[in-house]
Amino acid sequence: MRIEIATILENKLIASNIWEMKMTAPEIVEQYKGAGQFIQILVQSSWDRPLRRPMSIAAIDGDQIAIIYKVFGVMTQILTKLKPGAALDILGPLGNTFTWGNDEFTSVLVGGGVGLAPILNMYGEGIVSGQESVLVIGARTSKEHFIDHDPQNNVFLATDDGTIGIAGTIIPAIKKSLENISKPAIFACGPEPMLKAVQDFAATHQIPAQISVESYMGCGVGICQGCVLERSNGNISEHSYHEKYSLVCIDGPVYESKDVILA
Amino acid sequence: MPDLHVKIGSVDFENPIFVASGTYGYGTEVSGLADITGLGAIVTKSITRYPREGNPPPRIVETPSGMLNSIGLANIGVDTYIKKMIPLYEELKTPIIMNIAGSTEDEYCEILEIMELISTNIVGYEINISCPNVKAGGMEFGVDCDLTEQLTSRLRKLTDRLLIMKLSPNVTDIAAIGVAAEKGGADALSAINTLVGMSINTFNRKSNIYYGFGGLSGPAIKPVGLACVHKVYQAVDIPLIGIGGIISAVDVLEYVLAGAVAVEVGTANYRDPNVGNSIILELDALLNKNGIGSVDKLVGKVELGL
Repeated sequence: MRIEIATILENKLIASNIWEMKMTAPEIVEQYKGAGQFIQILVQSSWDRPLRRPMSIAAIDGDQIAIIYKVFGVMTQILTKLKPGAALDILGPLGNTFTWGNDEFTSVLVGGGVGLAPILNMYGEGIVSGQESVLVIGARTSKEHFIDHDPQNNVFLATDDGTIGIAGTIIPAIKKSLENISKPAIFACGPEPMLKAVQDFAATHQIPAQISVESYMGCGVGICQGCVLERSNGNISEHSYHEKYSLVCIDGPVYESKDVILA
Repeated sequence: MPDLHVKIGSVDFENPIFVASGTYGYGTEVSGLADITGLGAIVTKSITRYPREGNPPPRIVETPSGMLNSIGLANIGVDTYIKKMIPLYEELKTPIIMNIAGSTEDEYCEILEIMELISTNIVGYEINISCPNVKAGGMEFGVDCDLTEQLTSRLRKLTDRLLIMKLSPNVTDIAAIGVAAEKGGADALSAINTLVGMSINTFNRKSNIYYGFGGLSGPAIKPVGLACVHKVYQAVDIPLIGIGGIISAVDVLEYVLAGAVAVEVGTANYRDPNVGNSIILELDALLNKNGIGSVDKLVGKVELGL
């Protein structure tokens, strides 16, 4: 991990309230280990909002990093104003990665809301490496989607309001995607209620699952101990030192679904 | 070249920029990201007699020019600290100051007794009598002059190492607590710990911190830190270490003028663990530019009135 001044190449609206930003950051790219990792962005140099903002890496291309972000508050609003050529102070790559690529299983990649960034990253890496996978993306409405519902090619969209893809939560779409799969493994990232539903679904159907959790973060490097998640298995981590709580920034953000307790 | 050396008690520090307890782990975690060897000293996160898992999330929230935290003294306990962390300090030139928290006078003393029995190059102890986030955080000592003096004098008898009492701003008269710690035999005082604060989400009416209250830190508290340091400076003769919202060399000079001989950088580390080194370079350049050979002569020299 390191702090690098990245140069923004592109920053554009790709769906309702959802933006994609590409930047060059060769030093961080060099240390990048895989989908699931994130960067901490210093959105502004003033100290009226002191903390960096964690953003999952959505793609790596050459020496470029792409992120996908939803405009949520003042800081993401400021991010949308940044123009190509502008400098951005970023810290990364941080956290662990999804562990996948076992030929025995078919990977079902599940993303929702802003959590689709690492999922799209995996999907892209899968295409490059020839790994067959199924993509399931949830959103509230069709305007928030920026890819097509294409079940023939194993891309399933879900919307709460049914305006595109399969209506309802992500679960009916996951069920649909599993119809022709004998040994699925689920990899999911999204808002906590979605992850909780995926966690329950995976447990009920005894499907191996990894989830990448979102967390409010202070430092991103394990020193503030702010971003804790309760473990279900009490394994001691040599990173965060504690049995009950894990630090999302260094132990995570990716966990075996069965190992953590979601609210 | 300005002389940045500072002597506190019997310990020489190469420069007056330390990192504050709770903002730098046990000292070596961020060594891949920051040059920890350049720091004046590293103050460890609070260590208690036995491991503590800490408070449930949410533990932190950003606030205007600052943040609230309620970590709850999550730490590995002194036995594991000795086993896992103390050996890491052997090769480290940066002075380590171990921060200690307890819920009873005996607990503080027991930790110090254990530490004094082992061989270690830590240079001193900072005693946390001011954690606002847990009942066992020593806060009952930090708000009471008699308890502060009694605890300090018991700890004094146990060690010849540097003994620093860390003061809380959540009191009526911080100078009186400082005087009590001085009477008890402290070598130095550090101030301030975090201020009790609260943040509320109006959409769901929930507190943004699990237990409601947290400790406020960051640039938002700098004026409070300066005022506290100056009040204590006027009341005691032992050296002071200023803490609270330091992000630049100018902030350091403000604390020096208020009465501090050194400072601890805290929340700024979360944004950049290397900020301490940046401040050292900035301070060196600032003193150089203004022809100031050392900060010694500036300590406490704030002028009042027109």
